[in-house]
Amino acid sequence: MADIELVGVQKDYGRGRKAVRAVHDLSYTIADGDFVSLLGPSGCGKSTTLNMIAGLEDITGGEILIDGRRVDDLDPDKRDLAFVFQDYALYPHMDVRDNIGFGLRMRKVDKAETERRVVDAARRLDIEHVLGNRPRNLSGGQRQRVALARAIARRPKVFLFDEPLSNLDALLRDQTRSELKLLHAELGATSVYVTHDQEEAMTLSDRIVVMSRGRLEQYGSPYDIYHRPATEFVASFVGKPRMNLLPATRVECGRYAVGGSSFTVDVPGVDAERIRLGLRPEECSVQPVGEGEHASGVVKVVEPLGNASDVTLDLGSCLFVVRIPGFTGLTVGDPVLLSAQGATLHCFDPDGGARLTAADAR
Amino acid sequence: MSATTADRPAAGGRRRSSRARRRLLGTIGHRVLVALLLVYLLAPFVWMTVYSLYPATALQTLTPDLDPRQIRLDAYLGMLSDPSFLVPMANSAIVGISTTIVCMVLGSACAYVIARYRFRGRQTLLLGMLTVQAVPVIVLAVPLFILLRAFGQYDTLLGLVITYTAFILPLVVWMLVGFFEELPPSLERAAIIDGCNRLQIMTRIAVPLAAPGLAATAILAFITSWSDFFLAKVLTISNATTLPVRTAAFQGLFAMDYTAAATAGVITAVPVLVLALVAQKWIIRGLVEGAVKG
Repeated sequence: MADIELVGVQKDYGRGRKAVRAVHDLSYTIADGDFVSLLGPSGCGKSTTLNMIAGLEDITGGEILIDGRRVDDLDPDKRDLAFVFQDYALYPHMDVRDNIGFGLRMRKVDKAETERRVVDAARRLDIEHVLGNRPRNLSGGQRQRVALARAIARRPKVFLFDEPLSNLDALLRDQTRSELKLLHAELGATSVYVTHDQEEAMTLSDRIVVMSRGRLEQYGSPYDIYHRPATEFVASFVGKPRMNLLPATRVECGRYAVGGSSFTVDVPGVDAERIRLGLRPEECSVQPVGEGEHASGVVKVVEPLGNASDVTLDLGSCLFVVRIPGFTGLTVGDPVLLSAQGATLHCFDPDGGARLTAADAR
Repeated sequence: MSATTADRPAAGGRRRSSRARRRLLGTIGHRVLVALLLVYLLAPFVWMTVYSLYPATALQTLTPDLDPRQIRLDAYLGMLSDPSFLVPMANSAIVGISTTIVCMVLGSACAYVIARYRFRGRQTLLLGMLTVQAVPVIVLAVPLFILLRAFGQYDTLLGLVITYTAFILPLVVWMLVGFFEELPPSLERAAIIDGCNRLQIMTRIAVPLAAPGLAATAILAFITSWSDFFLAKVLTISNATTLPVRTAAFQGLFAMDYTAAATAGVITAVPVLVLALVAQKWIIRGLVEGAVKG
């Protein structure tokens, strides 16, 4: 088991004036035994970061330490880690047994021990019956398990996963995700998992690294990431449906009008003229306008999902999504009253996107 | 109005049938052209085979006698026990196999580096290799003759192997680059994590996976060196004479032994034919990939 420490890690592609910085000054520590996800959209530098930890890509600046030992100048096989690739990267010319045992053979582990570990890994992942098959004769799920078994058989200090579930269909993905969580609980090895799927990151991880455009946006527990997003990017990226993020202008002390509409919200403790206000759709509610009440907006789209319905409201100058439980009787064009009573208010700096609190708001 | 609607399906049916007729005519035309092309390509080889099996007297008449009972294998038996034919045959085999081995060892290492490393001048190098192919052999024949004689390699098997390697290696590299580029980089990354060095990645992962491509390229290299006539004719005189040169020698100044020439022709062509048939799928794939990927 091992902890991983990134200290000011940078990655540039190209040289001189043509150099493009793909990863900016990453500094954080992944604790021993933690399952940490690197989450972000395509091109945010999460796979590059994983490759730098693995040693598949050189770092341009900073240091990477595993178990307190600097590893960024070591070859990948000297870092004692296993890597599960997005496309599984199974050797097509070897059978499953040879695929799982290849890394052990290259490390000159004796034959009996190799066989014992191969069978043990295969048993854990329930692929003992396909040990003699070639990868092309396996289903996607089985290939995925072989890739995992290959990593397990090595018994490394660190497991690295590069979107290992993205090639599976939805049902198998959910099932494998649960199995992966069980496997981590069983092995307890430090794991770094790259994904662009927030659900995967939230369900699997002890902590999440959210990245955007090569920068660290937030490093925290799934609870923190969801309930206290550090930046507007994190707020918009995590949560389904997406958080409503709208410009809000102060209309009176502590009261803000959202998106230039008549819908106003009390924001205590923030003292800024303009803010970006975030409200989670599932924390807001909507009800038909009563006699003599002034409507906040009209229903524009209703999307029933079975257990909930997403209702998109037109507030006049902007759209606002509300998730309500079950099916709804609301129809397109209905005037409605929007309420953010009890919802957590997320305020962000309209210029930098950083989270505002009463202390730093001006 | 009703008449118009009734006519419409009939008109549609006519259009369909005329389209079907056109398609049928096109298919027939295509098949006929293919058949004519096949006859044009195969007839000389078939006639050569016939000549090697029947006595010349049965064929050199206005009405050739193709009775199967006339078939004789004497020409083959005679030729395969004649040292003046067996030595060139062995020379061809030695030159062909040696050239193929040298080209494959050097070519696969070179192609792997070109396919996997990005370096300045990579594209120019590949284009340069193709340019070598565009230079007519006849232009280089005299300089090569002078060069080999100066180095004491005129009329030696080594001289031929070196010359053929120089001509075939660029093509081998060009083809293999396409095959190596096709391999998913993640396999090599997995091998790095598993503890392979560059050479082990090449020998344990890349080469076994590119085996069909390597086999096709090797066969192409062998066929090219085995069947070459011109360079062998210019660069050898007696010791290192190869099969195509020996076969051509059956054409005398005043007379010609057609049966012997045809038999030698068949013996020369059969290995090429067999290898080409075995590897045709791979060769086509290899050529197409080499052309597209470079």
